Amino acid sequence: MKLASIYPFLNQDIDKIEKSLNETIQADHPVLREASTQLLRAGGKRIRPVFVLLSGKFGDYNLDRMTAVAVSLELIHMASLVHDDVIDEAELRRGQPTIKAKWDNKTAMYAGDYIFARAIECLSSLDNAHVHQILSKTIVELCLGEFEQFKDKFDWNQNVRTYLRRIKRKTALLIAASCQLGAVAGNVSVKHEKALYRYGYNVGMSYQIIDDVLDLTSTEEELGKPAGSDLLQGNITLPVLYAMEKDEKLKKHLETLFAIPEDVTKAQMDDVIQWIKETGAIQEALATSDRYLQKAFDNVAMLPQSKAKQAFERIAKYIGKRRS
Amino acid sequence: MQNNELTIKELKDSIQYQLKHPYVAKFIPEPVINEDKIVFLTSIVSGVDRLSEEQKRKYVIATMLVQIALDTHELVTVSSDGENEELRKSRQLTVLAGDYYSGLYYYLLSKIGDVSMIQTLATAIKDINEYKMKLYNDQLNIGQMVEYLRDIESLLIRRVAEFLGRTSILNTAADWLVATRLRSENVHFRKREVAPILDLIMKHPSYRMTGGQALSTIEKFVEKYMTLVEHSLSTWPSRFANVKDYLNQHLYHSIMMNHHAVEEG
Repeated sequence: MKLASIYPFLNQDIDKIEKSLNETIQADHPVLREASTQLLRAGGKRIRPVFVLLSGKFGDYNLDRMTAVAVSLELIHMASLVHDDVIDEAELRRGQPTIKAKWDNKTAMYAGDYIFARAIECLSSLDNAHVHQILSKTIVELCLGEFEQFKDKFDWNQNVRTYLRRIKRKTALLIAASCQLGAVAGNVSVKHEKALYRYGYNVGMSYQIIDDVLDLTSTEEELGKPAGSDLLQGNITLPVLYAMEKDEKLKKHLETLFAIPEDVTKAQMDDVIQWIKETGAIQEALATSDRYLQKAFDNVAMLPQSKAKQAFERIAKYIGKRRS
Repeated sequence: MQNNELTIKELKDSIQYQLKHPYVAKFIPEPVINEDKIVFLTSIVSGVDRLSEEQKRKYVIATMLVQIALDTHELVTVSSDGENEELRKSRQLTVLAGDYYSGLYYYLLSKIGDVSMIQTLATAIKDINEYKMKLYNDQLNIGQMVEYLRDIESLLIRRVAEFLGRTSILNTAADWLVATRLRSENVHFRKREVAPILDLIMKHPSYRMTGGQALSTIEKFVEKYMTLVEHSLSTWPSRFANVKDYLNQHLYHSIMMNHHAVEEG
């Protein structure tokens, strides 16, 4: 099942957002224009705009207001991806060459800053200070999450709490903010706005945990990068933390093996992944993801019956079953 | 001037406090805070009666945070080839730190609910990146390069001044900022540090200048803009006495420094 088949009633509005995204980043300079639109053309799930639109459906849904919020959030996400590719020295993103690969780091920095500025400008059309307060706080938290991810790299003594705080900042808060901002732009009641925020937060946590599991359980073909890439980059994810808790020998092995990450061979990586799987840590991580998902369902249950509510439920189910 | 200096010091301290992040500080140098820009911004906001003291403070700090964010991203190297682990970490954190500082400007202004100022600075960031792209990518002659640099260096201040309707000192501020920026390029080049404008000039296919030629070309532009500043300062109205004193002091210092450089060859 494709994600988009869950919300066909949003198709026209999503098309409008897509068009608006493209118009918003038409820079004057041809290289800046091409660089900025490069990632947009590569596609993407546009999950944040979808959450904005669905949340707005619980209030006074005005497409222009929803579009401003949705475009702004997607652009913030895009700008962070453009800069992330400079950080990670990534060559490909969504199957296309990254800006830094096609041009260089400098162009990627300018394009990311340009897209960020356009996102803020776009949201400013609403003249609503509250939406800026929500988004700006989220952006600062997102950056702090990135710092934490850096700090925690190859730290084999970090705990589950550290991991959860990191993915909260890295992923869940922007999804939660998408739901909340959609609700605020649609003048949704405070009670429902809170339920939507918590739905977004819990779905975001579940989504990231599954993403981290898939990094160990999917094939290179499915992932578009080698399995275990997170570990190779020093990102110690929930299944690895659970596996180390269960098997002290594995922890010691990882510490020794990743002393020089560049020297880890594919065969060694495959062995490590197999070892992690044998501890039962994958199932445990998925169970944690399910607990977040259950909380997301509990929050959706507080919302009035509607097509949007059904879509939120089905998206949560889709995320829970995601295997690629 | 004493009071103004105190204000500038206090603003600088506040900016430094905002920028502090213990983990980032371990790996990248503390950002340079351009005091001249604080002086110009302070002078612009100080005469606006409709702004509270707190708003004025926040305007200056937020604008400086944007400036520092953009300057930080300028430090990201063109390519990551041949980096060792230390340089890689520094590049990666430089990207993140710039993003963080941008987030701080946005957070600061959103807390006081100033959507118009948020928009003003966002539009300026957008335009600065258009100019930077031209400067970096297009085949410009040296005069055009310096003009774009002048725009890049002064655009944030220009937009704040236009937003507040306080534009009288803008051209002088732009002349001063481009002159000091060019002079710092020369200093960096002499110290074998990163000097992107000199690099652009030396690599330009139409010029192919040596380091010495590029330095002397830049110095001519510095003199041109410093002369413009000197002339316009004499015509400034008295309400800008503080900033005028500040610039005169620094102008004198700058001339003396130049004399020393000439004497030492």
